[in-house]
Order: sequence, then structure tokens, then C-alpha cells
Amino acid sequence: MDYYLSQLINGICQGSIYALMAIGFSVVFGVVGLVTFTHGEVIMIGAFAAFYAFQLVGNNLLIGIVASFAASALIGVFVYKVCYERFLDAPEYISLICTIGVSMLLKSLAQIVFGPNNKPMLDVVPNRFYGWDTVGLTLIQIIVIATVAVLSILLYLFLNRTRWGIMLRAVSQDRKAAALVGIDVKHTILAGNCIGCGLGGVAGMLLAIYYQTLVATMGGAAGMKAFAAAVLGGLSDVPCAAFGGFFLGVIENLGITFTSASFRDIFAFVFLLIVLLIKPEGFAHKKGARV
Amino acid sequence: MATMLEARGISKCFGGLKAVDSVDMGIEDGSIFGIIGPNGAGKTTFFNVCSGVYKPTSGSILFAGRDITGLPPESIARLGMARTFQNIKLFKYMTVLENVKIGFHIRTSTGVASAILHSRRYREDEDLAAEKGLDILTQVGLAGYKDTLASNLPYGLQRMVEIARALALDPKILLLDEPAAGMNPSETRDLSAFIKKLNARGYTIAVIEHDMKFVMGTCDRILVLNFGKKICEGSPEFVRNDAEVNEAYFGKGMRDGIAAGAGAAGGV
Amino acid sequence: MTGASEDSGRARLSKPLKIALCALGAAVLLALPAICPQSYTMGVMCRILMYVLLAGSLNVINGYSGQFNIGHAGFYCIGAYCEAILATRLGLSFWIALPLAGLAAMIVGFIVALPTLRLRGTYLAIVTLGASEIIRLVALNWEGLTGGPDGIKGIPAPMLGGFKISRSGDYYYIFLALAALFFFVTARVIGSRVGRAWLSIREDESAARSLGVETSRYKAANFMYGAFWAGIAGAAFAPYFKYISSDMFSLDEGFNILSMVIIGGQGTLVGPVVGAVIVNFLTEVLRPVSQYRLVAYAILIIVMMWVRPQGLVGASNSILAERKLGRRRRGAARAADREASCGGAK
Repeated sequence: MDYYLSQLINGICQGSIYALMAIGFSVVFGVVGLVTFTHGEVIMIGAFAAFYAFQLVGNNLLIGIVASFAASALIGVFVYKVCYERFLDAPEYISLICTIGVSMLLKSLAQIVFGPNNKPMLDVVPNRFYGWDTVGLTLIQIIVIATVAVLSILLYLFLNRTRWGIMLRAVSQDRKAAALVGIDVKHTILAGNCIGCGLGGVAGMLLAIYYQTLVATMGGAAGMKAFAAAVLGGLSDVPCAAFGGFFLGVIENLGITFTSASFRDIFAFVFLLIVLLIKPEGFAHKKGARV
Repeated sequence: MATMLEARGISKCFGGLKAVDSVDMGIEDGSIFGIIGPNGAGKTTFFNVCSGVYKPTSGSILFAGRDITGLPPESIARLGMARTFQNIKLFKYMTVLENVKIGFHIRTSTGVASAILHSRRYREDEDLAAEKGLDILTQVGLAGYKDTLASNLPYGLQRMVEIARALALDPKILLLDEPAAGMNPSETRDLSAFIKKLNARGYTIAVIEHDMKFVMGTCDRILVLNFGKKICEGSPEFVRNDAEVNEAYFGKGMRDGIAAGAGAAGGV
Repeated sequence: MTGASEDSGRARLSKPLKIALCALGAAVLLALPAICPQSYTMGVMCRILMYVLLAGSLNVINGYSGQFNIGHAGFYCIGAYCEAILATRLGLSFWIALPLAGLAAMIVGFIVALPTLRLRGTYLAIVTLGASEIIRLVALNWEGLTGGPDGIKGIPAPMLGGFKISRSGDYYYIFLALAALFFFVTARVIGSRVGRAWLSIREDESAARSLGVETSRYKAANFMYGAFWAGIAGAAFAPYFKYISSDMFSLDEGFNILSMVIIGGQGTLVGPVVGAVIVNFLTEVLRPVSQYRLVAYAILIIVMMWVRPQGLVGASNSILAERKLGRRRRGAARAADREASCGGAK
């Protein structure tokens, strides 16, 4: 019983990281309107940005968050320029293939610059445990969940209480109408994309802290999980995407207790396929998946 | 006379919007049937329900006596219903002849195996598509354009190609959605004559149109829709004089059009 | 006024010239092992031929029916493992295992196609991606059948009546024959009612349905056809590689094949050939700096999407070449539209 409970806690903690990844993805999809393959690499860049920040200025979590957010947001500018700016009115598959290209590019460059091996990320957060016996939370888990919670609240406030946030939501609902009321659509899309990427970057940092390792090829699985979680909400609904992330984290962790650790990544795919088969438009009824 | 296409209490809702509301319609075999109504009246939606593009929220459609409610468009096409679309769905990057050849899909049956082996069935199918395709184009007067890319043709001719492609199905009924859109008066007169010629050859035809002169002068019976509901059905005379129909089209534009149509049609 | 034959933008070679070029090409290809017998050259040629099959079969799916498959590595994987298992476990001859492997890949193609029939472009792509990964992960983890992470070793070479095919130069003829067969068969299918149905689905699916084309059936058949040939490619190459493992069939490999189709061209028969040649040529040229290989492909893909989405020699007269949505009607038609909606009730 204790074992399952602790796995559940692991699942929730992991799920919160997936939730953040999915939130970032759905902000991007909501505002840009196009699926991207680059989110995984954006997550990876954030992890490395935090890694080097920690190396430079010591293990300051806040600096890590800022560094990872900024680095990934910057990459977001690059992705926007290459994959979205020209193709906002083009057939979908053109920008999708561009994002595949950019993802390949970032991954290869990362392997060249950072090297192909795992890098350890140790002791960013001291190893403390709060609980009874085997059931409880490590300090890392508390920090992870707290970070995700704070960022989510900030995002909510931004989207609902600030002028910029309302512009973002307007553009994601109806681009033409937004343009007609004087919103600078292109820059809003750029901003939304960068915010989504930035959140992904922080998620990357959290992944690295949680697993205490990072590697240039971590983007692939991460991106797929972000997408799988976001699909639950029809790709553009933020709260649904967050829920999807938690849900995915829990079933992934419970799943590997019943099968084996090597099957970890399969759960995301299976989960994704099931959702796409049963309710491809997600549960929030926005941009549809059906013909 | 037998009823070719019958709609019984057809309704179609999109979320909260009732686009078509309990419409009944009967098109007799061998007639030309017109569907008119102001913009947004639900005409194209109704056509879409008839041809299987939409499933009706309630009601049923009978085609040549057979219930086709809920069947997919490809099955309904196979049963003998061909249609054209309001905004012309030609295969724009294919030539005119290639467009028409695809219309022969139902009348041919070559599969992967026959294709690979170039069997007799393959050769017969290819001959049929090529010969009959050219025939249809000749009848429609477009034989000279057979190798022209569809998108390079002027709008009016594109519409004719779409009709030609629909004829390739050898259909029992032809549903034409705003075939006269974008045509000048003389082209519209030619179209009216063409439709009557087709009808004389045995095709039952249903037409959605805005051009009153055209509708009054071409159709045997007319159905009027407004806000998704049927507000009148009958001969052009009958529809012309109906008070509700006149009211539905605000402004003297409509009345003038009907008057002009009455002059041109000379009694139907 | 446009009248008779219109040149649809392609350079038309005269028929005798075409035949002469084909004959010349065929002669060169057949004589190649005699002209350049070095195993390095033969190795490169063999790889190019394999990718011609893989890219060609992917092109049938993406280029001819317009479906968006990015998980082609999965079918390739099925074919390779099938042949390897049949040859090593059941001792079946290569010539029997080959079509069986193709069949297996075709069945998997059907299974993957089923759920995608109702899905729109991007979602379809994601499902194919997921399917490809699941296939790889199953191959990685099902130790009993596939040897797990160790893969399958010692795949026996094909025997041709007592003669064992072992040199690249010998394999070359097998691969050449398969590629030729693929082109012959595919050209015939594309030029038939089936091919026309596929094209109509690509260009305008709802128009196709209204003309009676059973789009679901044809989309599934298209997937199965592409999967079959990818399986054949995998099966043919298993004995050539002598050893296979699941990491040869990763998503990266899928993107590799996709980039050949993107760069070379979609919707034409030569497109994937050009793509396979270019990409493999780049691989060889960039051998000293092989980490930059994927960087080069990535840049090429992006440039191609920016400049010519249908690929270098892809179908210019197709929806694949469209760079702007709704650039459907020309100015005249749009004006006519406006007139029609205002002038109807005059």
C-alpha cells in the first residue's frame, strides 16, 4: 500500500512537470493555431540554460527559472521567424514540417555544442525528506510542485487580468476579429509563442532537477508527452492540458509499477492514441481534430 | 409521376442554431425544381443534407423511393445523385478532361490488381472514361479545353466543367448549387437553355439560385426557404404572388425581379 | 482565350528521347557493378536503392493521396524484423520471407490506417508517429520474439540456386530489381482508376466523396500499399545488414525518409529518387563531419518549405505546391462572387 501511495505521489509530482510542459504547448497552439514539433527541444534548451546558469552563479533556483524561461523564449523567437511568421495563412503541413526541421536542427546542434552524453545536475536542491517511512515528499518534489503552481497562477493572472493577456486570448479565439479591433496580431502571436516556450523551458529545468540529469536528446520524449497531455484539452485549453499532464504523470508512474520501467514512454503514446481515437477534439471543444 | 427525391420533416441543427427547420419537399421525376430564399435561408445546408454531406438532426430523405437518410455522400452518389457546389469544387490543378474522368469512378471498377496487370477490365475502364468523358465535354461545348488546367478557365466555364463532371456519373438527379453565380445575363440565359436541354434528355434537376429571372424562367416548381423554414412551394406563378414570399425579400428589388421574370417566362 | 493543349508547366520531352534516356539509364545501372566494383561504391548504391524504395513508398502515401504519414520507419521495422525472424527462427528462404514480410507490414499498415481515417492532417501525422514509436518500443522490449535490445544477429544471406549472395555487388541486383518492380507496379496503379481516386482525395476530399469515391477505403488501401513496399525494403535489407536492432528504426530514421520525400519531391515518381540520391550523397560527402549531417537535412527541409513546398521535382500542379490558403480563385472570380451575392435579388 505504501509503495503505491508513494508512486502516486511521484506521479503527481512528475505530472506537475508534464502539466507545465502541456500548458506551455497549449498556450503556443492556442495563439499560433499550429501544432509544433519543437516543444521538446525548447524544453531541452531550458534545461541546459538552467544547467549553465547554476554552473555560473551557483544553485539559485530563481536564477535558474529566469535563465531557462529567457533562453527558451529566445528560441521561441527563432521558431516563430522560421516556422510561423510566413505561414500563418498557409496549409498547415508546411509549418509542421518546418517545425520538424527546426526540431532536428536544434537537437543536432545541441548534441554538437553540449555533447551527446548525460550531464549530471546534482544538489541544486538539498536532499531532504518530509514524511513517514517511505511515504512523503522530498524537498525536490515540493519545490517542483510549488514552482508549477506559482507559474500557473501567474499565467492565469496574466491571461485574465492583464491587457496583454486579453489580447492573447482574443487572437487565439478569432484572429481576424482581433485584427479588426486594432490588436497587433503578429506581435501577439510572437509573444504568446515565446511565453509558451518559456514555460516549456522552466519545465525542462524542473525535469533536470527532478531526474538529476539532462541530455541533448531529452527533447523527443518530453515533446511527445507535452502533446499527449495537451490533446486532452483539445490542444488549446490550458486547464485541461494541465489536468492531462497530472493524469499522464499518475498513469505513467502507476503503469511502470505494474509493468517495468522500460515501458515508461509507451504510456504516453498509448494514452495519446486512445484520446485521439475516442475524442480527438479533446474535452474542451475548441479547434477540432476531425475532418 | 414518381417522386424522385423526397424530404420529410428535415431539420438540421448546428449547436444551438437551427439551420433547417422541418422542411418537406417533393421533386418529381423528370422535373426542374428550384429552391430559393434570402441569403442564409438554409438552402445549401438543405442540399448538403440531401446529398449526405450532413446528417439531418431529424427527418428523412427518400431517393427514388429508397431511404437514404444518414448514408455517406459516396453511397448516395453511387445511387445516382450528382451535385455541384456553391463555390466550385473542381480539382483545380487537373485538366478539364482529368476532372471529368474522375466522375466515371462509379461506372468503372478497376482495382489494384487489374491496374497492375493492365487487364481487360483496366483497358475497358480507361477507354470508357476517355471516350465518354470527351463525349460529355463535346455536349457541353468544352471539348476544346480538355487539356486546359481547370483553374485557368474563366469562372463561368469552370461551372460548366463542374456540371460536366457531375454528368459523368450518369445520375438520376442533378443538384446544382447556384450554377448561375458570377454569370452575366446572356450566360445565364444560355445556362437556362442548357438546363432545359438536359431535362429534356431525362435528367431530373434541382437548382438553388438567387437569380429570379433564371428561376422563374427555368423551373417547373419552386420551394422557398426563409430562416430554415419552408414558407412556400408551388409553381412559379403561385410563388410569385405569395405574400409571405414577397415579404421575405425586403425591398422593391425582389418585386421588380419577379415582375421581370414573369415577363420573360411567359407562363410556366 | 485558352484553347487547345495547354502546357501544364512541365518540360515535355519527346517520346523517343524519353525512351532513349531510360534505356541509357537502365544500361548504366545494370553495368554499374562492372564499372565500379569497389564495395564502397556498391554499398552507397545499395543504400540509395533501399531509400528509393522507402522514400518512394512514403511518397505514395504523402504525395499521391495527401495523407500525412511521418511514421514510415515503423513499417520498415516490421518488414525487417519479419524477414529476420522467419529466416533465423523458421529457416525460411529469403525469397519466401520477403513477400511474407511485405504482407505483414501491409497488415500493420491497415491497422494504423483504421483510426486515422477520421482524423485531420496534423492529428493523423501524430498518430503515425505514435504508431511508429510503439512498433519500435515493442521490438525493443519483446525479448522473446525480437531479441530485445540485442536485436537479431546472423541473418542468413539469400541463396539463388546454390549461389550465396554475399557481396554488395550481388545484392545490388536484387535491390535494383525490387526498385524497378516498385516503379513499374506503382506507375501502373497511379495511372489507373485507383490512382485517380487517390489524387482526387488529395486535391479535394469532399468533392471526391460527392463523386462516389469511397475515400475511407481508398485511404486505407493507399496506406497498405505504402506500408507493403516499406516492409519489402526492410525485408530485403535485413540479410544485407546481417544484424538488425530496434534503434535502426527510430523516429530519426522516419524523419530521414521524410526528408528525402520533402527535398526530392512529392507527388511524382522521380521525386523520391532525387531525394534519396541527394540525401545519401550528402551523407557521404559529410562523412568527415557526420554530426552536421542532420543539420544539413534540417536546413534543406526548411528551405524547401520556404521556397518550394512540393519539393525539387515534386508535383507542381497539385495542392502540394500551394503556399497560401485560399489562393483559390483569381481576381475575376472573386469579383464575380461579390456581384453574385449583391446582385441576386435585382
